[in-house]
Amino acid sequence: MHRSMFDFRLGRVLALGAAIATVAAACGSSTTGTSSSLAPASQQILRINTGVEPNSYDPGQETYTYEAAVGRNVFEPLLKPKPDLSDVQGAAASSYDVSPDGLTYTFHLRKNAKWSDGKPVTAADFVYGWKRLLNPALAAGYVDPFFDTNIAGAANYANVDPKNASAIDAFLNGLGLSAPDPNTFVVKLQHPAAYFKWVATLWVGAPIRQDVVESAAGGPFPSTDATKAEAWANSPSTIIGNGPFKLSQIVPKDHVTLVPNANYWAGSPKIQQLIYYFIADGNTAFAKYRTGGLDILNVPVADVTVVRGDAKLSKQAKLLPELTAFWMAYNTQKAPLNNQDVRMALSKAIDRNQLTQNVLHGTDQPLESFIPKGMNGYDTSDTTQSFDVAAAKQLLQKSGVSTADLNKMTLLTRNTTGSKTINQFIVQQWNTNLGLNIQLNVIDSKTVTSMIRKGNFDIYGPDGWGADYPDPQDWFDIFQSGSCHALNWGCPTLPGYDALVQKADASQSNSARLADYATAQKQLIDTASVGFLYQQYEYDLIQPWVANLTITPIDDEYVPGDEHYQSAYITKH
Amino acid sequence: MSVTAEGRPAKGAPLPFRIKVPRTRAVSLGLYVVRRVLWMVPVVFFVILITFVLMHLAPGSPWDRGGGRQLAPAVVANLNAKYGLDKPGWQQFLLYLWNAAHFDFGLSYQYEGKSVSYLILNGWPYTFTLGALAFLIVVPVGIGLGIVAALRQNTRVDYLTMGFATFGASFPNFVVGMLMIIVFGVVLYNVTGGNVYLPVTGFGLDDHLILPVVTLALLPTAYIARLTRASTLDTLRQEFVRTAWAKGLTERLVVIRHILRNSLIPVVTALGPTFAFLVTGSVIVETVFAIPGVGRAFVTAVESRDYPMILGTTILFSIVIAVANLVVDLLYVFIDPRVRLS
Repeated sequence: MHRSMFDFRLGRVLALGAAIATVAAACGSSTTGTSSSLAPASQQILRINTGVEPNSYDPGQETYTYEAAVGRNVFEPLLKPKPDLSDVQGAAASSYDVSPDGLTYTFHLRKNAKWSDGKPVTAADFVYGWKRLLNPALAAGYVDPFFDTNIAGAANYANVDPKNASAIDAFLNGLGLSAPDPNTFVVKLQHPAAYFKWVATLWVGAPIRQDVVESAAGGPFPSTDATKAEAWANSPSTIIGNGPFKLSQIVPKDHVTLVPNANYWAGSPKIQQLIYYFIADGNTAFAKYRTGGLDILNVPVADVTVVRGDAKLSKQAKLLPELTAFWMAYNTQKAPLNNQDVRMALSKAIDRNQLTQNVLHGTDQPLESFIPKGMNGYDTSDTTQSFDVAAAKQLLQKSGVSTADLNKMTLLTRNTTGSKTINQFIVQQWNTNLGLNIQLNVIDSKTVTSMIRKGNFDIYGPDGWGADYPDPQDWFDIFQSGSCHALNWGCPTLPGYDALVQKADASQSNSARLADYATAQKQLIDTASVGFLYQQYEYDLIQPWVANLTITPIDDEYVPGDEHYQSAYITKH
Repeated sequence: MSVTAEGRPAKGAPLPFRIKVPRTRAVSLGLYVVRRVLWMVPVVFFVILITFVLMHLAPGSPWDRGGGRQLAPAVVANLNAKYGLDKPGWQQFLLYLWNAAHFDFGLSYQYEGKSVSYLILNGWPYTFTLGALAFLIVVPVGIGLGIVAALRQNTRVDYLTMGFATFGASFPNFVVGMLMIIVFGVVLYNVTGGNVYLPVTGFGLDDHLILPVVTLALLPTAYIARLTRASTLDTLRQEFVRTAWAKGLTERLVVIRHILRNSLIPVVTALGPTFAFLVTGSVIVETVFAIPGVGRAFVTAVESRDYPMILGTTILFSIVIAVANLVVDLLYVFIDPRVRLS
């Protein structure tokens, strides 16, 4: 993401990741107090800073979490994560069935669900919305979970000519999407996929109204016309949604205001105005919060100590896990990092406690494994990568690689304050603990991305992942060999890994899946495919008058509680 | 229209459509402006050409993400087709020129379905208002301080004004902005229990303007003050000033008619670029005060390789700078009667 000199927290550059995720009930969601009395309607205003303006208000074009935080409140997908995040629950659909072969998902839509203009939500709206998402001419950024061998016929996505309307229409009409009656939406899959219920919670899978899109475009248009297809998403008057809120005002680069959708099936929300500001500078947002201008704030790293030292602010602070993991990517295709001992030595020479306590201000937590705390598969029993300088030195000696060769390596670093601060610490750890002289190679962010895509680096970091949805499939697919230079950059060679993960992805047995994923995780750790570092936590401030806010690790870190704003309210103050 | 040289009859039969225009000062000024405006066309062309080549040479594609998960290759191919990036570079360039000549500057890659013209026209009023207001502070305060300092050279007044100018020139905008936010926002809010404080973010035609305009004006004010002082000191030593004093003119007359007018020429030269700088927006001031202007647009466009947005903002900036320089050249005529435009 494009960030200027005012650096965002690292997790914000997680791009498409960090979307839907879950957390076990144990460390799970937190709800703010509900005791005080309800403030009058005129004071029911919730003001949040998302930091960045959404690129689009068309849910199909939204690829970042700060966009989804707005989109999810305006458009409601079929399912949503349960408040305790253990499973999915009904949203636009009240329930769903899976055929015994795992290939057919039938979603039963709510009969009382209405659009913000009062018309009923029908299965045809979902068919249109999903086909629109899969239209190659629209080039939706977050389409992969839908075409990655999931929906029948969608695997052909890459071969459709985006300039040929009849080819597009043939492709879209051949997809396994149907509406046998207005309240039944049926999806046929290519392969069994136990995680598909989570794909159905993604905001991009929202229903879209064909009549609204076409009237905003001035009538029907060919499938190749992306400009006409997006015309509706530019004005609040044509952004008709089925979520608890509707868009009332867009002030470009400044803020967007949402108001209750009086037609929402679960009842109109108590919050009368939901305002998302786009203040890029964290320190400015912090000042706005302190002058009473914001109700919820993600604390900038630089201000964490200010909050901790302030009697009033520290009481309003909350520390919550996010489903993220960060690591050092080693280019395993290139000497000397094709040597497992070298990789393990580097991984074992980093004091992760010092990193999280001193460099990351004690908000984030050390992580020596892949799956973060709060997700199925979180397991810290494998301590192979733990900090141990003596063992690291031994491994380095055993590797037989000369110090001169090791010192030729550089750590590729994005030119952002966050990345530089972390990597300066890591290089210092390696150089001090192992007697090396490894240098940072600091380059602008876009150039770094183009370099790692070509495998043109020695070590790159911190690299990371944020859950799209709370299923291990979303994580383990990253290190499949087919994702080399697409989702992972070091391209580790992992014998047997692909077959194991693919088996787990398709399996209908939850316990068998988890066992297979556990084996895969052990393989990632023990071969030092990457050097695991830490899990990011949210450090947020919430004004005492915000009540009944349910915060979960699936939320955008800037917008805690965004999945459950329809039940939040403001107390008298 | 064709113009004949004044007073010289054309040879042969006069053409029926020949219009004889007297070479008055106003006409030559008008012709000068027309010529300068026409010169902007090749200037803008080369600005586009250079920008186009440079931005395509910059590594990274508009579809690369800052980190983490990248777009699927099939999606990237579709995006290239959607925005015409699958065509050869020279075709893209000619197509852009053709469209730009029709005032179509394309769609932003960053903001889905939004045109570059819309994005710039939407943000520029905010930026222009702040910049113009800051300019209204810079001119009287900067020139005023500079003259006072020069006339009272080596006195306490001089040291005080130049001390301020040094402070203003050396403190970075983001430090000043953040300090003002903390003092006039947070501290004032806490001290008065939230009753009196200045708003710290956003744009509004009210007290929202105070902090960003003052922050924006500080550096150019300091610069203009120093420049005016130096230029005025130079003029003070001229012989015609001594003559003016010797003639027994009042101080007021000497300062305004003889010193000020002569010492302002280098200042006016600097005011043109200063105005252009102010109304095209400051990345830092707009970020610190969360102003929805175009100051940040160029930087974010470059960072995200939003090609149409980069070109659009560059064209805007080049036109503003060219116009500001033209205005400066015209102002010379009024300040210095010796200047002739040709």
